[in-house]
Amino acid sequence: MKTATLIRRNLIWYYRVNLAVVLGVATAIAVMAGALLVGHSVRRSLHQLSVGRLGRADLMITGPGFFRERLAGELRTAASFQTSFSDVASLIALTGVATRDENRSRAGGVSVFGIDQTFESFQGIEIGALEPGEALISPGLAVELGAQPGEMLALQIEVPTTIPIESLHGRRDETGRTIRLSLRGILPAASGGEFSLRPQQGPVRAIFLPLSELQRNLDQDGQVNVMLLATRRGVVGARQAAEGLISDHFTLADFGVRVRQLPAGDAGSVISVETKSAIISDPLAGVITQVAQELGVNTNSYLSYLANSIRANSIHSGAKESVRREIPYSLVTAVEPGVLPGLVDSESDALPPIVLNTWAAADLAAQIGDEISLDYYVWKDEGRLDTDTARFRLVGIVPMTGLAADRNLAPEYPGITGAESLSDWDPPFPLDLSLVRESDEDYWDRYRATPKAFLLLDDARPRWSTRHGGVTSIRLGRPGELDENRVSTLLRRLIGPETIGLVAIPLREQSEAASRGATDFGAYFSYFSFFLVISALLLVVLFFRLGLEQRTREIGLYRSFGYQPSLIGSIFLREGLLLSLVGGLLGLIGAVAYGALMVIGLRTVWTGAVGTRLLELHLDLESMFGGLLGGLFASAICIWLTLRSICHATPRSQLAGLIGSDNNSAVDRASVKRPIMSALFALSGGLMVILAATGTIQPVGGFFGAGSLLLLSLLALSSWWLHRRKRQNGLGVIRSRGGWGLVLLGWRSAQARPGRSLLSIALIAAATFIIVSVESFRRGEVVPTNDPHSGTGGFTLIAESLFPIADNPDIPAGREQLNLDDPLLTDLRLTRFRLHAGDDTSCLNLYQPRNPRVLGLTAEFIAANRFRFKSAVDHVPNPWELLNIKDGPIPVIVDANSMNYVLHRQLGDVFDITAGNGQPVAVRIVAALDDSLLQGELMMAESNFTRLFPHDDGYRWFGIVVPSKRLDRTDDIAALLEDRLSDYGLDATGAAVRHAAFHKVENTYLSTFQSIGGLGLLLGTIGLAAVLLRNVLERRRELALLVAVGYRRWHLATAILAENLLLLAGGILAGIASSLLAILPALMERGSSLTLASFASLGTILITVLITGCSASIIAVRAAIRSPVLEALRSES
Amino acid sequence: MLELTHVCKDYPSPRGALSILRDVNLMFERGDAVAIMGPSGSGKSTLLYLLGGLEPPSAGTITLDGCNPYTLDERGLSRFRNQNVGFVFQDHYLLPQCTVLENVLIPTIVAPENGIDYASRARELLARVGLTDRVEHLPSELSGGERQRVALARAIVTAPPLLLCDEPTGNLDQESAGNVADLLLELHRQLRTILIVVTHSEKLAAQFPTRYSVRNRELRAM
Repeated sequence: MKTATLIRRNLIWYYRVNLAVVLGVATAIAVMAGALLVGHSVRRSLHQLSVGRLGRADLMITGPGFFRERLAGELRTAASFQTSFSDVASLIALTGVATRDENRSRAGGVSVFGIDQTFESFQGIEIGALEPGEALISPGLAVELGAQPGEMLALQIEVPTTIPIESLHGRRDETGRTIRLSLRGILPAASGGEFSLRPQQGPVRAIFLPLSELQRNLDQDGQVNVMLLATRRGVVGARQAAEGLISDHFTLADFGVRVRQLPAGDAGSVISVETKSAIISDPLAGVITQVAQELGVNTNSYLSYLANSIRANSIHSGAKESVRREIPYSLVTAVEPGVLPGLVDSESDALPPIVLNTWAAADLAAQIGDEISLDYYVWKDEGRLDTDTARFRLVGIVPMTGLAADRNLAPEYPGITGAESLSDWDPPFPLDLSLVRESDEDYWDRYRATPKAFLLLDDARPRWSTRHGGVTSIRLGRPGELDENRVSTLLRRLIGPETIGLVAIPLREQSEAASRGATDFGAYFSYFSFFLVISALLLVVLFFRLGLEQRTREIGLYRSFGYQPSLIGSIFLREGLLLSLVGGLLGLIGAVAYGALMVIGLRTVWTGAVGTRLLELHLDLESMFGGLLGGLFASAICIWLTLRSICHATPRSQLAGLIGSDNNSAVDRASVKRPIMSALFALSGGLMVILAATGTIQPVGGFFGAGSLLLLSLLALSSWWLHRRKRQNGLGVIRSRGGWGLVLLGWRSAQARPGRSLLSIALIAAATFIIVSVESFRRGEVVPTNDPHSGTGGFTLIAESLFPIADNPDIPAGREQLNLDDPLLTDLRLTRFRLHAGDDTSCLNLYQPRNPRVLGLTAEFIAANRFRFKSAVDHVPNPWELLNIKDGPIPVIVDANSMNYVLHRQLGDVFDITAGNGQPVAVRIVAALDDSLLQGELMMAESNFTRLFPHDDGYRWFGIVVPSKRLDRTDDIAALLEDRLSDYGLDATGAAVRHAAFHKVENTYLSTFQSIGGLGLLLGTIGLAAVLLRNVLERRRELALLVAVGYRRWHLATAILAENLLLLAGGILAGIASSLLAILPALMERGSSLTLASFASLGTILITVLITGCSASIIAVRAAIRSPVLEALRSES
Repeated sequence: MLELTHVCKDYPSPRGALSILRDVNLMFERGDAVAIMGPSGSGKSTLLYLLGGLEPPSAGTITLDGCNPYTLDERGLSRFRNQNVGFVFQDHYLLPQCTVLENVLIPTIVAPENGIDYASRARELLARVGLTDRVEHLPSELSGGERQRVALARAIVTAPPLLLCDEPTGNLDQESAGNVADLLLELHRQLRTILIVVTHSEKLAAQFPTRYSVRNRELRAM
């Protein structure tokens, strides 16, 4: 006989209780490993989704503008391309609004792809050549629009603007264009129909149309804005290789830079550098200066601008009175000092100098010393075109030769510089053609856009510079020869892609990283399943303990034979571990089932938490064995602790079948210790309540802690009561007769096995505590409100436009410009935000945001102090003002939920985001909003936004306050706004609706938690049933004796039911009482949001527990009363 | 030799120490067979547990062949019980999951390695108690008397010098009780153990040359 044989015998003999232990362990491990499996499955599904949607695209080259389509062919033949890349394709990728003709159903934010044969061959798919006017759409878009092949669609797209819309020459009225398309078919996912450049778990909404057609509609013949690259297998450093390709093959034209040789003059060769946007950015100006330095040539910067009028006020002595004359619509150029004779700053004159050409001077009859006024339009930051006036002193009149006759000083302004006459001008600003005189037309015929006046750059820049730059051209010149090609080559070499904002984006790498860092459902489900695991482990403890209790005499016997306690412990521990191992292996099977069940749950009832039905179960050995090891470890600990607690009794007690200590002094000590512990827990809880109420500690956490301590206190109190000696148990001597006497008898039975009873109470109480507490976090309905400190910021509607809006809809001029003059819209207050498109940072996006959406906040919004803050790095009355901190990383504000759960950051954290030029920029979280609708984006001050994202013109995000008197017409207002701003693809939604969408996700998480917690509670109740059944079976002889002395079976049933209800009610009441304390702040804050439905849901769970518990009683009662009485009396113990 | 010197046993209670045994002095040699009688709750079993190293005395010393088990550490005490004491209880406490032979061998699992073939000895003992044909049976397949005989074999499998029996025939019918008693005494004679039996049975006690009774917390020769 060996120990191993003994263990084998034990395992087989006690198979019933051992099976229960095995099942308990299996459940715990199934849940733990299953939860990890869910996390892995979500990550794998997201990974497959995003990577699958990329097709063969590994990298993307893109920038703010368009470049040559031919470039792809040029790259393909390059040697450096061949080593790193296998294929390349060019396309146009935009965002648009698709409208189905038949029912006007509309889908905003649709990905628009202009593709040709190269895209098909790149992706290895066969679509078949698209005819002009034809389009294919993704299955997701087809479902959303309900569109069928053959139907007509209207596609609204943004027209690329080379000139910033927030400048005088920006075309604000032509930001969008509509294309009518015939739907040829729905492109299945397998044929690239779900092609997407950005990871997203929702359905892809995409439309594909012929590249040539899109180019024609965008006036971008032969141009594209995206180049896809497929890397060769095993290539390292593909991104650097792609950046090398940009450097080697992109031309200045691809960068939107133009270099032209001007006719040589007396001063020698002159080369002008200009841009398509008609403005040279400061970084580009720096590069041009560098080129000039390397070539040893001089540079001259010019800033040309349109003056609405040039006026002269003659004040010379010959004039009898002041004569006012005016030239309309003239180009004026600012130059550097000394470029024109006499044009230098004079300290003696308060007015800055100006020089007129002879034609203008003659037309104005102006003489040296006259005051010259310029009227000009200027785009104001508040979103309107205004007319400013500047006064100058005429210091010179230059003949129409040389620079004064240079028509190349004016950049190319669409609608102006190419016009045949002044009356043909088609500028993006108001023009009063009645002011144009015949002489003006003559000048245009003869000199075109040759400037009529010159001033100093230093005087012009403060007036006409924009954030996009302060010069319109830079000229390089020197006596003698200056080769245009040399300038171009050098310029090309020195312009880094970042200067232009052209970037190589590692799409696949980013998608993989985004899905790796996706919302960790493994962790969430581990939290959600926590109670289920605890229940399962408690069941392990319970059944293992039951098994041990059943074998108490056996333990005593071993000890009487000289077995050391450690050996006995080792035997039982080995038994327990073997059972755990078997349970673990079963648990692995259960893990797959649990994981599958949870994934099905996420695809169906909990889809609100993930926003996709495309999740699949993916098996993962690492997750499964992680769960197995975790579960085995937890089970081993439980078993070891159980063994420790039960092996304390003396051998004599054990031989007598007594489990606990028979040491009276120990009992006495415990009977004193428990009330003390209870009191200490209660006192600590009370202290936490005081600290939380006085604001010393965070109230939510404080009250939750206090609730937990109250729970411990109540459990200690229960333990004390259960362990009291029978005559001290507070029930007194059972003298009552009838029902009450039976109830007392039942309650006293609960004291027979106090450990078991306490475990049952603890299980039920903890489950009740968790479930009731969680319910209090459920978000209620969001009621529309104008309270600026609410989660909606007091906005009634929020709107997002597809195309930027430069005009300010909150001022009369802007409303007039935007056609928002309807009486229904008159009292609206619209707050506008700049928007940089990027990854959604809200809980609606499962992927880890790599390049978050960013909102630029105006000074007015910051001053308004809307929304409510959860925390801020500094205690200031208006935390929005922290965005104006100048030093250090750029300050940003985010919603607290997004910060914690999506970005996984903390207040004060510094991290990088990608600026418009593709370069990383450090930002710092200075404050976090409390439960706001601004969960999808980072927010920064407008000044920082325009610096970081210079190409994101205008405003695309709007918060709208509908006056109280019109709240009932909110839907009409939203519809009217969408209609009036349909050219901009505006989509307006109720702010409360948007806010509620976030709450829905939170509530779904809570439902998930409660559902799984409910499973744990049921498991706990099953444990209770097992305890009860065991108690009854152990007391069979006692019960039989009662029958023998005249008890009827219903007497026994009453006593057993009373015992069970005592444990159940004790657990539920302790759980409810402590959870109510824990959620007190939430109840006080959101009392109204705890709806009847919340209480009904809670009630259902608790009633289910009661019913299950009572059912367990009934089973126990039946088991007891069915047992033959005399046999029980005769049977040996 | 088993020697008890001024042995007392008290139990703490809410109303102060509860005295069970007071100033017990005894000395037994190998081959002695003693019956201890007394009413329920008089402390008979307590005395047995004190002798068997299961419960320390409140005062006084107990030595077996010069060794006081209560001066030993937990490990030494366990070994002492394994090698020096055999127990037979009123409830036989056979392990229901083990066969008869295995039950007899249970103490030997933790016995020190001394070259003894315990399996053969167990078979031999089972033969002596008349259970040769029951070796592979489970306890549930035995009668009460048979179970007690297995328990007897188990108690002496390690050949302990001290054999302690707590109401060994208490649960048996008259015939079985007689058989078990005869067997007990016969084995005692063969093994020359110190046999101490606690019993209510006058008939069983009458078979012992030395008898004591426990009354008023004191042990008196009868």
